[in-house]
Amino acid sequence: MSDRFDQDQSVFATNVETLPGVPVEPGVPIEEGPAGAAEPVPLSQWQLFYRRFKRHKLGVASLVILILLFVMCYGADWIAPFPKGQQDLTPGSENQAPSWDHLFGTDQLGRDYFSEVLYAGQVSLRIGLTVAILSTLIGTIFGAIAGYFGGWVDQIIMRTTDLFLIVPAVAVLAVGQQRFGSSAATVSYVLAALLWMAIARIVRGQTLAVKEKEFVEAARAVGASGRRIVLRHILPNCIGPIVVNVTLAIAVAIIVESTLSFLGFGVGSSWGNLLNTARGNYDNNVHLLYFPGLAILLTVLCVNALGDGLRDALDPHAKH
Amino acid sequence: MGTLLLRRLLYSIPVLLVASFLMFWMVRTTFDPTARLRVSRDPAVIEEERERLGLNDSIFTQYRVWLGDFIRGDWGESSRTRQPVSEVIPQAFGNTLQLIVWGVLISALIAIGIGVYSALKQYSAGDYVFTGLTYVGISMPPFWFALIAIHFLAVAPQDWFGLSSPPVKFVGLHDVGSSGLNWDYLQHLILPVLTLSVQLMASWTRFQRSSTLDVLSSDYIRTARAKGVPRGRVIVRHAMRNSLIPLVTVIAVDAGLLFGGLIITETIFSIPGMGRLFFQSLLQGDVVVLEAWMLVVAIFILLFNLFADLAYGILDPRIRVQ
Amino acid sequence: MAETDLTLDELQIETIPDRDTWRGPLLEVRGLSVSFPTDDGLVRAVDNLSFVLQDDEVLGIVGESGSGKTVTSLAILGLLPKTAQIGGEILFCGRNILGLTERALTPIRGDRIAMVFQDALAGLNPVMTVGWQIAEAVSVHQELEKSELADRVVELLALVGIPNPRERADQYPHEFSGGMRQRAMIAMSIANDPDVLIADEPTTALDVTIQAQVLDVLERVAEKTRSSILLITHDLGVVAGVADRVMVMYAGREAELGTVEEVFYKPSHPYTQGLLASLPRIDRRESERLHRIVGQPPSLIHVPSGCPFHPRCPEAEVPGVCVEERPPVVELSVTHVSACHFAERLHAGTAVPAADAPRDDEQAGS
Repeated sequence: MSDRFDQDQSVFATNVETLPGVPVEPGVPIEEGPAGAAEPVPLSQWQLFYRRFKRHKLGVASLVILILLFVMCYGADWIAPFPKGQQDLTPGSENQAPSWDHLFGTDQLGRDYFSEVLYAGQVSLRIGLTVAILSTLIGTIFGAIAGYFGGWVDQIIMRTTDLFLIVPAVAVLAVGQQRFGSSAATVSYVLAALLWMAIARIVRGQTLAVKEKEFVEAARAVGASGRRIVLRHILPNCIGPIVVNVTLAIAVAIIVESTLSFLGFGVGSSWGNLLNTARGNYDNNVHLLYFPGLAILLTVLCVNALGDGLRDALDPHAKH
Repeated sequence: MGTLLLRRLLYSIPVLLVASFLMFWMVRTTFDPTARLRVSRDPAVIEEERERLGLNDSIFTQYRVWLGDFIRGDWGESSRTRQPVSEVIPQAFGNTLQLIVWGVLISALIAIGIGVYSALKQYSAGDYVFTGLTYVGISMPPFWFALIAIHFLAVAPQDWFGLSSPPVKFVGLHDVGSSGLNWDYLQHLILPVLTLSVQLMASWTRFQRSSTLDVLSSDYIRTARAKGVPRGRVIVRHAMRNSLIPLVTVIAVDAGLLFGGLIITETIFSIPGMGRLFFQSLLQGDVVVLEAWMLVVAIFILLFNLFADLAYGILDPRIRVQ
Repeated sequence: MAETDLTLDELQIETIPDRDTWRGPLLEVRGLSVSFPTDDGLVRAVDNLSFVLQDDEVLGIVGESGSGKTVTSLAILGLLPKTAQIGGEILFCGRNILGLTERALTPIRGDRIAMVFQDALAGLNPVMTVGWQIAEAVSVHQELEKSELADRVVELLALVGIPNPRERADQYPHEFSGGMRQRAMIAMSIANDPDVLIADEPTTALDVTIQAQVLDVLERVAEKTRSSILLITHDLGVVAGVADRVMVMYAGREAELGTVEEVFYKPSHPYTQGLLASLPRIDRRESERLHRIVGQPPSLIHVPSGCPFHPRCPEAEVPGVCVEERPPVVELSVTHVSACHFAERLHAGTAVPAADAPRDDEQAGS
């Protein structure tokens, strides 16, 4: 067996950055002083982050694609070749395969599919973002409180988040849709209500880890109040996982929302709904299935890649 | 070890109760069990029914009563099929279990294989390909994969190759009249298992790759090499052993979640399991089934979570409490 | 870096002579250079380093973080990452082992050259018992019966002073205290009576009281197995107590190399002098400030020209030879060398007036 691995000494990659003598902060440029003395010029946190992020080609590309997607969907009024919902009533115009006239073909009612997909994108993207922001906000606050104060506050919050671990998410969300209605806002709230718990756990973990560090002790020693410590010292150090989890939340939200819509429980006009309709009118018109699905796939893919890129840029030494 | 587990169990019961109560509350307040009776339209009859079902009591009382019944084994009768729920659910459970077993087995083996390989050959062409695939795997809505798979593996080949029936089946687990482990069963299994495996494999492969990479760069691997342990043995004896421990936990938890998480897959492939049962019950407002379903699924998720902890404790001596 | 053919490598290893038959130095490092390409440039961790390890001696390698000492030790056993660019020669009993493949090196690792690492908690596999890991160190090189193996493990644990060795062998690393863990690591490294024992900062992570114990164990054990020790540390006190000879490293190069007496009493390199002067001493007057070496450790990417120490050196000629030329390795005696343009002047200057001469009973540096 050793033969196979013989050429691969790199398997045992001792992390170069942790070898003594190798600067741990590769972003620190060195300047030669007058007597040849090297004086490092430190870059600010943001500059360092920016530099590291730029290196992650995939992350950058994903960001660009995402921006493009957003612009295209929200600019549908200008970009879409056909107005929303316009049906071509001439017979034979339905379910056409993609062509130059209709980039994505037409759907079962003769509507231009490309335009449909763009407009549906507005709904899907908005829900994704809303859920992510809401759940991150709530989750971060509760997580930080739980982590910092500990004791029974921590216990209560943790038991509450345990709920998230136990319930079957999609099922609960589906019932939630029935219960609370299915406007885009409601859908977002219900999703966020479940997602914040996952984020809270992660933030709590980070808070606990940071809390033990010496600089927090130091801050407490000079009399900083709890609130100040949390805001100024702990949270900034949690930014890494928080940002990454925002992207994860977006990804999850979009997929779950499309899943619910596909089942018939979500908002009326997102990508998931398009797929639901497509399934009903399938009849071997696979192009109806392609495009909304690809849209979801592309969006979530880029969000995930962006998340990875951000994580690497924010904390290159993090164990993922 | 035993006491730790017992404590975890005790802590989980209140959470389970609260979760089940919340779900019960949601279901009870969303659907009206007397809706089917609206045929009668006579308010007196409806009111009588409501009294009979205890619907005018507080939600807490209702829950208490329901829970008591549940524990005693009385799960009620499905308003949709008129079958006792205590028969309906186990039946559905058995079908879902088949999917889960096959899916988890296949996904785990492949994920470990590819994950370790990717880590060993980091930055190779193979690694990039697999990493790309896993990215797609976790970014793809599973139901979409199911639809595309049905089209390209079942429906379209019929046209391409002029077949009389699709090469892989996508309705149910058996053709009419067939049963047991046979080729027909396999044909029916492939697509649904593939669908649920795609997501599992993608996620687990990434995890295993990451875990293996972490382990490979750790100090004790360097020590093992410095001792003169041959490369192959270092990888298998030290690296893999350590890197698999976290994965076991993840697999256990994900498997538990599958009991309530196959709603789409079963619906698309018409598999009479827990997922489809939920979907049909939800559409029809079959409260009785829904309530029992929620609790059963939650219990299993909890059990698998505990199992994950147990496994971790067995495998990692640092966690074992003396 | 040339990669030698598989079979040739193994042949190379097969023909390494026994320690007793070989007459020359046990380990000879010639012109070792190690560089790492990073995003910001090439890090020259070790730059043309040469030294020798003789039979039955303890050589201390001293330097601050970043001086290249750990990289040197890893280079000897071939444990550097593949991205490292390595040049020079490492002769073990006369045979060059630098650049050999993993497979070729495996037989000598742990058997003829062994290593003890700094962090014993991270350095031991957490999911395996200590006894199992020590047994592995033995079983990869020797064929033993299970019971013989177990006995050997107990014997080794006892040798390093671990009480109840038989019970302890079945315990996991996290159940050991820090000092005991380090001893277990030492036990693992001497399992096959190695010729060379490389100890990379074996006591740095320990309390001072435990440090002394562990060093004691190290000494005792090396005596018993007649191993030579390459002791890497940043602590001059450790070196003074245990080493026969000492090499001071700076910026990946040797600054000074000699016997402990020579280096401690007649330091002939400004860096060494600075190090020794900055040691707190009980016999100084209270009002005297602690001496320190000004400046920062150098960047290994943009190493200062000429002598790397010149930006911080009180004796440096700037501008002058110190900036322009890399200092030669000046021989001050058979055993004592210093890499400084003014080595001889400094050496002569260390003939101290009688009043300041160290007293006989004074331990230098501790």
